[in-house]
Amino acid sequence: MESNSSQMTPATVPVWDIGVRIFHWALLAAVFVAAMTGFFGSPDSLQIHLIAGISISLLVLFRLIWGFSGSTYARFRTFLFSPVKVRERIQEMRAGRHTRYIGHNPLGAWMIFALLASLIFIVCTGTVVLGGVFKQGPLAFITSFATGRFVQEIHQILAFGLVGLIGLHLAGVAYETVFGKEKLISAMISGNKPAGSNVPAPRFAPARPIVALIAFIALGMAGTTGVASFASRPGLGVPTAAIDPLYAKECGACHFAYHPSMGTAALWDGVLSHLDQHFGEDASLPDATRAQLAAYLKENSSEHWDTRIAHVLATANPKEPLRFTATRFWTRMHREIPDQVFASKAVGFKGACNACHSDAKTGLFAPQNIEIPEGARL
Amino acid sequence: MKPRHFLAFSLILLMPVMAYAGAAQKPIIDGYMAAAKAENAAFSGFSADRGKAFFLAKHDASPETPSCTTCHTADPTKAGQTRAGKDVAPMAVSKTPDRFTDAEKVEKWFTRNCQSVIGRACTAQEKGDFITFMASL
Ligand code: HEC
Ligand code: HEC
Ligand code: HEC
Repeated sequence: MESNSSQMTPATVPVWDIGVRIFHWALLAAVFVAAMTGFFGSPDSLQIHLIAGISISLLVLFRLIWGFSGSTYARFRTFLFSPVKVRERIQEMRAGRHTRYIGHNPLGAWMIFALLASLIFIVCTGTVVLGGVFKQGPLAFITSFATGRFVQEIHQILAFGLVGLIGLHLAGVAYETVFGKEKLISAMISGNKPAGSNVPAPRFAPARPIVALIAFIALGMAGTTGVASFASRPGLGVPTAAIDPLYAKECGACHFAYHPSMGTAALWDGVLSHLDQHFGEDASLPDATRAQLAAYLKENSSEHWDTRIAHVLATANPKEPLRFTATRFWTRMHREIPDQVFASKAVGFKGACNACHSDAKTGLFAPQNIEIPEGARL
Repeated sequence: MKPRHFLAFSLILLMPVMAYAGAAQKPIIDGYMAAAKAENAAFSGFSADRGKAFFLAKHDASPETPSCTTCHTADPTKAGQTRAGKDVAPMAVSKTPDRFTDAEKVEKWFTRNCQSVIGRACTAQEKGDFITFMASL
């Protein structure tokens, strides 16, 4: 309980324990990285975005545990306020009055929960996007591309929402600093605030770091094991069979053998019907061989798969319907790569996907597997 | 066994192998030989020199592939590259011993490449000259 004796009251009181402070600043860094890579990143920054997202998940997990095992002001029960209290706080602010809370004030407390909830939703929707669109992660085995694409919109809206919440959070800090004369930023660094409050202090609780650590390790390990076991399942609609050897030999003689899932049935049919005029070259084959290839490609064309490449290359360019490299998606993705890079000896031409996408043969085209070969860089 | 004897003995043992390596292309050459005689009664044998000239010649059937050297490079002992960027092992038999040993493959590529480069099928004599040249390197 609060002491009434002025000599007994120390000048400052510890408020934010080390767990809260490290959490706060580490979360700031992780959210910053996730936001920069998410809003402004290119495909090759997806890996950093994922690492930031995983860090955020672990930080939030820690904070949830610390909310029950941290010291007094870290505990959720010390800043659970009813909507009535929030309304009162707003009315106070309108009237220019100021009740001093040592821990979070009701409005600030609601912001903490809103931020945590928003981060949880963003991490969850991000995992759905990763599973559906990129066929990676724990939800790949169950999430369709269409679902992933749809949830991607939600993920983006939530991310904008988070930016808005952070803006309000900063506005709140500024308001408290200016009108409440609270040094909130230095309190989040030193952990201490000046003593004295006009609301009763909550019941004291000691930090229980060992309990928190055990809970964190147990939940973290259970989560990691679960994620790893789900992530090892084959992705929904992802081709896993080896490439047919005849196809690999015949269609891999002049360029790498395009994965069958890259082309629509119409594209493969068009290519096989005009092998004697194959993009300016004669690539004709005996009829029997051609028929075998036609059957294989028809059975494995993009219509049969749910990978990103099967969807994004499916809309042909009517001017050059047989070229992947003429599709809108392809030209948009590669518009920043100069022609000399494609013409270089290390690449050859635009369609030599495997020169830069090390997993092109599998039809996966993961953003993590892109690298322009050294000899081709300008 | 004295070293000199050992050398002689090894050479005798290796002889059939060496002869075989030279002859691996023979069945295909023989096939083109018969076809060339049928095409032209005056045909009197293949020539590596004619093969070389044919290999280096420029044609105007296609701006992308004006010559065999477009993909096979002017030096057949070196690796070439297709227009799509894939490496092509050297055509010289000394560098790629299994060249011209699979009749179906040879015909498939003559059909394609002659059509692409010259705009017509090659004659049996051109094919035989070409292989004779590549085997002579
Ligand atoms: C004789 C060599 C050769 C063979 C064999 C060959 N291709 Fe090609 N292919 C090419 C060339 C050359 C290009 C175009 C290069 C350029 O645009 O500069 C090409 C381009 C393509 C493209 C368009 C790539 C793009 O997006 O620009 C597709 C699709 C394709 N080939 C499919 C096939 C299939 C299927 C087979 C097997 C039936 C095959 N190719 C066999 C030489 C070949
Ligand atoms: C010269 C190298 C190069 C070649 C050749 C190339 N790409 Fe790419 N590709 C890239 C780079 C680099 C990026 C990333 C672009 C960026 O950072 O915005 C990319 C991006 C992509 C993406 C999007 C990746 C993502 O996760 O967003 C796809 C899909 C793709 N390429 C498919 C292809 C296909 C299909 C081909 C062949 C027809 C091909 N690429 C040929 C270099 C190449
Ligand atoms: C557009 C590129 C290109 C051009 C031009 C080209 N070739 Fe080829 N050629 C190839 C490729 C690719 C192969 C297959 C190489 C392999 O199997 O390693 C090949 C293989 C061959 C083979 C079969 C070799 C074997 O291993 O049995 C013959 C014969 C051949 N070419 C002859 C010619 C002749 C003659 C010309 C000129 C009239 C020519 N090529 C021009 C690309 C080309």
